[in-house]
This record gives sequence, C-alpha cells and structure tokens, in this order.
Amino acid sequence: MKKKKRIAQKILWVLSILTLVFLWAPMILIIVFSFSNNKYGSSWEGFTLKWYVKLLSNDQVRDALTRSLIIAGVTVVVATFIGTITAYGLYKLNFRGKQFLRTSILLPIVFPSVVTGSALLVFFTRLIHIPLGYPSIIIAHIVFCSPLAVFIILGRMQRFDWAWEEAALDLGATPFRTFLRVTGPQLLPAIMASAMLIFPWSFDDFVITYFVSGVGSTTLPIYVFSQLRFGATPVINTIGTLFVTITMLGMLAVYFSQKMGNKKSST
Amino acid sequence: MPVLDEVPGSQTQAKKREKRKLALNMAAYLSPIIVIIVVFVFAPLAIILFFSFMKSGPYGSIIYTFTFENIIAMAGGGYGKIFLQSVYLAFQTNFLCILFGYPIAYYIARFGGKRKVLWIFMIIVPSWSSYLIRLYALKTLVGTKGTLNTVLINLGLISEPLQILYTNFAVTMALVFAWLPFMILPIYAALEGLDRSVLEAAADLGATPFRRFFRVTLPLTRGGLLAGSILVFIPTVGEWLVPSIFGGSKIMMAGSLVAHKFTQVGNIPQGSSLAIMLAATLVLILYLTIKWGGREALEKAL
Repeated sequence: MKKKKRIAQKILWVLSILTLVFLWAPMILIIVFSFSNNKYGSSWEGFTLKWYVKLLSNDQVRDALTRSLIIAGVTVVVATFIGTITAYGLYKLNFRGKQFLRTSILLPIVFPSVVTGSALLVFFTRLIHIPLGYPSIIIAHIVFCSPLAVFIILGRMQRFDWAWEEAALDLGATPFRTFLRVTGPQLLPAIMASAMLIFPWSFDDFVITYFVSGVGSTTLPIYVFSQLRFGATPVINTIGTLFVTITMLGMLAVYFSQKMGNKKSST
Repeated sequence: MPVLDEVPGSQTQAKKREKRKLALNMAAYLSPIIVIIVVFVFAPLAIILFFSFMKSGPYGSIIYTFTFENIIAMAGGGYGKIFLQSVYLAFQTNFLCILFGYPIAYYIARFGGKRKVLWIFMIIVPSWSSYLIRLYALKTLVGTKGTLNTVLINLGLISEPLQILYTNFAVTMALVFAWLPFMILPIYAALEGLDRSVLEAAADLGATPFRRFFRVTLPLTRGGLLAGSILVFIPTVGEWLVPSIFGGSKIMMAGSLVAHKFTQVGNIPQGSSLAIMLAATLVLILYLTIKWGGREALEKAL
C-alpha cells in the first residue's frame, strides 16, 4: 500500500518536472542565446555581452521602452483609482441594475483583444476622431485595465473587517476623513495588488495597442513584433532575458515584503 | 387620526432622502466606470454592429446602405469553418491544459512540502513574462532551423528537419504553452482549499485511491477547473498571435481573421461583422457559464 503510494508520487513528480521543462525550456534557450556570439541569436557560438551593449545604444528600443513605461504608468494610476472607487461603490451600495453593471464591467475582460481593439479603432477614427498615439493607446489601456482593477479590489474587500469604518463614522469622523484615515489605509494592500497586476498587463499588451497605436507610436511589444517579422534577432533575446529577470526580481520582492509583513503582524 | 397621517409623510421624506443619498453616492463612486463602459465599450460595439450591416466600397471606404451581405458572406463558407475550428482548438487546448495541469497542481498541493513556494514561483514567472517573447522563444526552439531540429540532426536521430511550424500540432502546442500556467494556478488553489478529512473519511470507508480521486477530489475541485477553463478558453477562441506565428497562412483562427480584415485588407464592414460574430460567440459561452454557476468562479479567477 505504502509502496504503491510512493510509486504514484514518483510518477507525479516526473510529470510535474516535465511540465516545468516544457514551460521553461524555450525561455532558458533565449537566455542562453542572448550571450551567444551567433548573429542570428539562434545557436551557441561562444560567450559575448555585445548584444546587451547594442541594446543599450539602440534608440528605437529606448524610445519604445519610454513610451511603454509612460503608458503603463498613467494606466496604472488611473485604472487603479477607478477600480478602487468602483469596487467600493459596488460593495457598499445596493441599487437596481447592480448585477447588470457587474456583468457589463466583465465584458472588456472577456472580449477577445481583437474585438476590443478593432471596435476602439473604428470608434476613434470614424466617430470621435481621437488622434491615434498616446491618447488612443492610454484610453484603450484604461478601458481594459479598470475592470480588472475593480474585480481584484472587490475580491479583497470581501475579506475586510468593516467594523473599523463604522466605528470611525459612529465616533463622528466625516466620511472623507474616515476614508482617508481608516478605510484607505486598510485598502492599501488591495490597491497595491491591483497596481502590481495591472502594470504588466498594460506594459505587455500587444494586440489592442497594435490596433489603436497608428503610425509611429511603437511600444515595446510592438517593436518586438516588428523585429520578429525579420526573423530572430539577438536583441530580442536580450529583451526577453531582461523581462524574465525583472519579473523574477519583482516577484521575489513581493514575496519577501509579504513575509516580512506577516512576521511583523504576528509579533 | 392625525398621528397616523404624519407617519407615512415623514417616511416618504426619509425615503426620498435615502434615495437622494444613494444617487449622490452612485454618482461619486460609479460614474467613471459607467462612462467607460457606455462610451468606450458599448458605443464602439454599437458602431461595429452598425458597420457590419454597411456595404464595403473600394479602397476601404464604406458605402452607407443597409445590407446583409457581410454577415451572410462571413457566416458561410470558409469563414464559418474557421470559426468552428477556433472553438474546437480552444476546447482541445482547454482539455490538454487540464490533462497536463492537474498532475502538477496535485503534486504541488499534496507533496510540495517546503518547496511549495518554489514550485508556484516557477509556474507564475513564465505566466507573467512577456507573452510575445514567450511565443518567440518557443518558435526559436521548434522552428525549422530551431534548436530542437539542430540537436536532433546533430545526434543523427533525423536526417531532415521536422516540419513542426505551420501545423495544427504547432498551434495547439503554442496555445497550451501560453495558457497552461493559468490552468495550473486555480486548480492548485482549489486543491489547497480541499478539506483533507473528507478524503480520510472516504479512505476509512474503503474507497480505493482511484475511486477516491474521481468521486471526491475531482468533484470538489470543480470550481478551480471551471475558473481555469474560463481563463484558458476565452482568450484562446479569439487568439491572433499564436495562429499568425505558429500557423502562418495555413491555420487561421477567428481572431486572426478579424485582425486580417482590419489591419491588412482594411475592409471595415467585413471585419466588423467578423468581430461581432466573435463577440457574440463569446457572450453566448459566457452566458452559459454564468448559468451553470460560473459567475463566482469567473470573478474569483480574476
């Protein structure tokens, strides 16, 4: 009986490792090739750092990166703000059509990006004539990121202790002051979580941005896509390597800050 | 009696005040999202719905006469087939993600021990790294001149490179590669939330491990499976990048058709009708999921 269990565990372990290999092998490959001397970035020909040097001096990449950071930055601030007040409203208020509103907020999340992208493109160019570029991209990103923020924050609100807020109000604090001093600080972890999730969403979006960006507003994903058409390039390998590294560092930072927070609250 | 007369009066006044307060609160908290939904979601959808009934003129122009020809052309023939193929591919991807995702989720939840965090970390990192770059990385591995072929040829296992790209297999593999983490995580969460005493009870009552899994564990993790399926199925149906990178011109999906009509052909009426059909397909699927009790799973999945 025990032995059988052991074997089952071993088999599961092998399957799990194979799954991880499948998920990681391609990524490890481009990380390795980013240090390879091969000019197509597709095989190993000795160690070099020259692609990283080239990346640093690549104006197109720098422009695209700056643009992506600006767009993601604005989107995170606006979408998280809208998400916070919407979640608060949905949680606290009872009104007719609430269910309908919740379903409507889900729409931009569940619609395929090509539908959202093409509908917004037609809307911007044919109806309200918003210039394609920063304005159209930022609006589009806010449209698909805000609903996400709503549900992330709403999810955390359901686990809150709302007694503090009631106490503050009962003791005569104004609603504004209550929000600022009691509810807000309590909401902060949820707001941070939403911002942390939305930033990569906005930064990494390709499809919707591609539709509404027009000519000349190349974001980083659009730059990567345009390079892929010409086949593999070592520069993409370096960008990919940096992406994975930054993701890992970001996650480690979140993990350790949470661990520290837990320790603090438990002592 | 005068007292009775007063009470209903003050009640309606209190009610009115309540109503006004509610309206004010709604305006304060909910107006931004309502504006976003109405102006930037409903209105654009209405516009493409309108355009899908317009005639397409030469050079991407639109002739404003009412016609059903786009809808008929897009629904029938080759396009309809591509739609069905997309739905089929999405189901297949979903099934394969469960097939590959469940064992690893189960292993981590049951036997992960001290390394649990590391395992989860190894699954989350790929899912958060750039989607486009991950697809590019996979292409580097399995392309005609890719690493896999080079290694196999050098080992003498094959004499000619395997043609993996531009096949159904390649598209399916890329879809599973892209979306598998989003299936593993909800299943893992569901398994973690499982009450172990239920399993012990089943064992005490003489259930075999096999039976225990299919009669207890699997049904109790249905929520996780549903959440994962929503996260995987919905984006897969409208996928554009995967078919365009791994399917080339040979394997198209509904999403790539829409993108093709808008960005390459510039035929707005035809593109619009395809987009509307794609949206309608997903709304139908979403409706069915919510009806089967998936709303909570859907909101939780986020």
